[in-house]
Amino acid sequence: MRAAITLKTGRAAAAALLIVCGLGLTAQGAWIPAKAALAQALLERAFAETLASGRPEKPWPWADTVPVARLTLGGESYIALAGSSGQALAFGPGHVEGTPQAGEPGTAVYAAHRDTQFAVLGRLKPGDPIDVTRSDGTTATFRVTGSRVARWDESGIDPQAPGRRLALSTCWPLDAVTHGPLRLIVEAQSEARGPVQPQ
Amino acid sequence: MSVLAFPLARTRPRAARLYPLILGLVALFSVPGAPRAATLPPGSGELVLRGPDDAAPVEAPRLMTDVTVDVSGPTARAVVTQAFRNTTKEWVEGTYVYPLPEDAAVDSMKLVIGDRIVVADIRERAQAKRDYEAAKSEGKTAALTEQERPNVFTNAVANIGPGETVLVRIEYQQTVRHSGDRYSLRVPLVVAPRYNPAPPIVNLVGEDPATGGADPVPDRDRITPPVLDPSTHAPVNPVTVHVSLKAGFDLGALRSDTHKVKIEETGPQSRTISLADGPVPADSDFELVWKPAPSVTPTVGLFREHVGDRDYVLAAVTPPEGKAGPRLPRDVTFVIDNSGSMGGTSIRQAKAGLLAALDRLGPSDRFNVIRFDHTMDSVFPATVPADQANLDRAKAYVAALEANGGTEMLAPLQAALKDSNPEDTKSIRQVVFLTDGAIGNEDQIFSAIAAGRGRSRLFMVGIGSAPNGHLMQHAAELGRGSYTNISTIDQVAERTRELFSKLESPVVTDITATFSEGGADVTPDLLPDLYRGEPLVLSAKLPKANGTLTLSGRIGDKTWTQTLDLSSAPEGAGISKAWARAKIGDAETARITGKMNAETADAAILKLALGHKLMTRLTSLVAIDATPRRPAGARLTSAELPLNLPAGWDFEKVFGPAGERAAPIAPPPVQRRAELRKAVAPGVALPQTATDFEIRVWLGLTLLGLGLLVARTRRFA
Repeated sequence: MRAAITLKTGRAAAAALLIVCGLGLTAQGAWIPAKAALAQALLERAFAETLASGRPEKPWPWADTVPVARLTLGGESYIALAGSSGQALAFGPGHVEGTPQAGEPGTAVYAAHRDTQFAVLGRLKPGDPIDVTRSDGTTATFRVTGSRVARWDESGIDPQAPGRRLALSTCWPLDAVTHGPLRLIVEAQSEARGPVQPQ
Repeated sequence: MSVLAFPLARTRPRAARLYPLILGLVALFSVPGAPRAATLPPGSGELVLRGPDDAAPVEAPRLMTDVTVDVSGPTARAVVTQAFRNTTKEWVEGTYVYPLPEDAAVDSMKLVIGDRIVVADIRERAQAKRDYEAAKSEGKTAALTEQERPNVFTNAVANIGPGETVLVRIEYQQTVRHSGDRYSLRVPLVVAPRYNPAPPIVNLVGEDPATGGADPVPDRDRITPPVLDPSTHAPVNPVTVHVSLKAGFDLGALRSDTHKVKIEETGPQSRTISLADGPVPADSDFELVWKPAPSVTPTVGLFREHVGDRDYVLAAVTPPEGKAGPRLPRDVTFVIDNSGSMGGTSIRQAKAGLLAALDRLGPSDRFNVIRFDHTMDSVFPATVPADQANLDRAKAYVAALEANGGTEMLAPLQAALKDSNPEDTKSIRQVVFLTDGAIGNEDQIFSAIAAGRGRSRLFMVGIGSAPNGHLMQHAAELGRGSYTNISTIDQVAERTRELFSKLESPVVTDITATFSEGGADVTPDLLPDLYRGEPLVLSAKLPKANGTLTLSGRIGDKTWTQTLDLSSAPEGAGISKAWARAKIGDAETARITGKMNAETADAAILKLALGHKLMTRLTSLVAIDATPRRPAGARLTSAELPLNLPAGWDFEKVFGPAGERAAPIAPPPVQRRAELRKAVAPGVALPQTATDFEIRVWLGLTLLGLGLLVARTRRFA
């Protein structure tokens, strides 16, 4: 009899633990896309302020990054943040450090999560337009030239490559559930022709 | 890159000529929006070379080249400026393997570091190497230019500082090629990957070293730089070309079939030529072709130069086109190279050329076709009459050829030269050899030709964007035939027609050259027979360029004589260098063919090289900066600069499918170091862009379900 009671108590405790952990994990998991969606709303506001004021505006008081551009691609629009640290990428696409601003000579690189904003990369085809509105209000229009898959440490992207180029990167394969070394890179070229420098 | 200061004009007036060039090169490096944007797609990040055994990757310096050629009548003087730019934070040594024309006489090298110019000395090869290595370890910036083949050179520059650009400026003399009314200048821009036959595993006793015993390519390591796969890497090594042409006669047509050019007329006899679209990747040879105006027929070119206490003369004389003797039946063996290096556009050119040639055979001729890669086959066991059935069979065979495998050239050559009727005088025996010449065992081929040519004449047809001119030119000379280039598919018809007018038979035979004054040292020592349209080119060293030069020969059954007055010859630049270079070539040939023993030949070459300050197999140019610059303890990394694959080539046919570790492309072992190294562009590191929210949600839901299940079980227990 006593053994039965102990068994019952133990089972109840186990059930409670499982339920609590399950709820916790589910909430944590669900928070990731929710945070991304919420952050985009806040970022949209901050970017509008940035465009109006002409200086970087933080999306929320404790943010450690600022919105730098609006990317419009595949019918969607996202606010990109400076830097590509894990924290920044949790909220939106990040402008990778050490690459020029979109529309400047060289290759501007933006990265975002495959399962939130950059899920759209898989649908882009050569010739599709990508608009980048910068914090100074100018918009550069790019056309997709192609896409490829490369290791994260062998991207082959030269930030000083000739021309005005754009590269968008996300993790590959798009439907994998674990982290991997491969990245999908969509490359695009500016439609505007920069001034040709004399030799 | 910081701006380089060049107050050169103040210190050394001559250097002022370098100034615009240097600025141009620097600008090309530093301006990302320069016109080369059109040709070089992205992905041209750092060039990182991976070692074979997962050694630390080495980042190679970047290279930019400018070639400026002054053509003046029969000779051309070229200045090649190579800018090595170190993009790394380390001190580096860069090594670059590059091509020059096969008859180039390299006589000057200068090293430019910041505002200092160091003029190179010519030294014996081993000594130059020792001096360079010493300077390298002392931390001094130094450059060493060495000859690997008469048309392949290596430039090494040590101690290039972090972020620094160092210029190496090489000058050479070459002669303008001339055939019929066509004059041409060829500037090779890339060394094609070579196939180097493996050394024999068993060294048979008594075997002739030329045919087997020794390694046929003892210096294989030095002529196999890493090669980039064009499908995964943008072309590197941008190059600009400028030609100032002073033809010496009124110019007619002028064109380049290999590159788009911009031509400016600067006078009736002169033009300036540059690349129309700015820099191009160094992946195919540059060829310029010009003809005299229709009313002009330049037949005699005689030039002289006074150097030291000697006079040098260069004569280029085209004999009149007399009637050739009766057309004898021909016995022609065609040999076509279908090795992997011919993959892509080359094999199409070669097949088109061979098919056009078969169409020109007459009913009384006999022929055969041999094809080779690392194996060989012939259509017929021996030559057969050129009747329709046989021609159809051969054409079907040729049309079905595909390029693959290694390049074992010796066996098919020997098979083609093998003559079943050596005493036959009723027919003439010819071998037409179509290849890109991408092999490293040239000397083995040359000695086989010299030993086995008999009455056969060997006609080389160079195929593709970067054929091995040294092999072509020399094999044709030794085989007493001639050399034709087919650089593009558009040239097939014109060049095949030309080749066939030569195959008809030599127009001028038994040629002699006599100087009225004694003491003339003439090269070539044996004057060749001439084919239709070919000029007789000879040079000589004389105590004094006085008196006359009398040329004579037989045209058909008539004698031809022409006398030239030496004292009225105009001054030409670089004639002495051209003479010395030709003499060195003669000595090399004598050594390879066994007419001179190695010691005697080497002594003669060394004397000429040091006397005329020429780089040769035995002498190198070395320039060493005076003061050490690399701090003690700072590391020096070495990197071989990768080359582009020649335009039109198929990378996988040469190096094997991507991903595989450059497996031998053919059953016999293929020794190419390029197979061990592959350059990759690491580029920007991309951040982690996957979240695990799906996993978390699924795991959470599973736990939740389990918990609920356990709770339910309790209730019903």
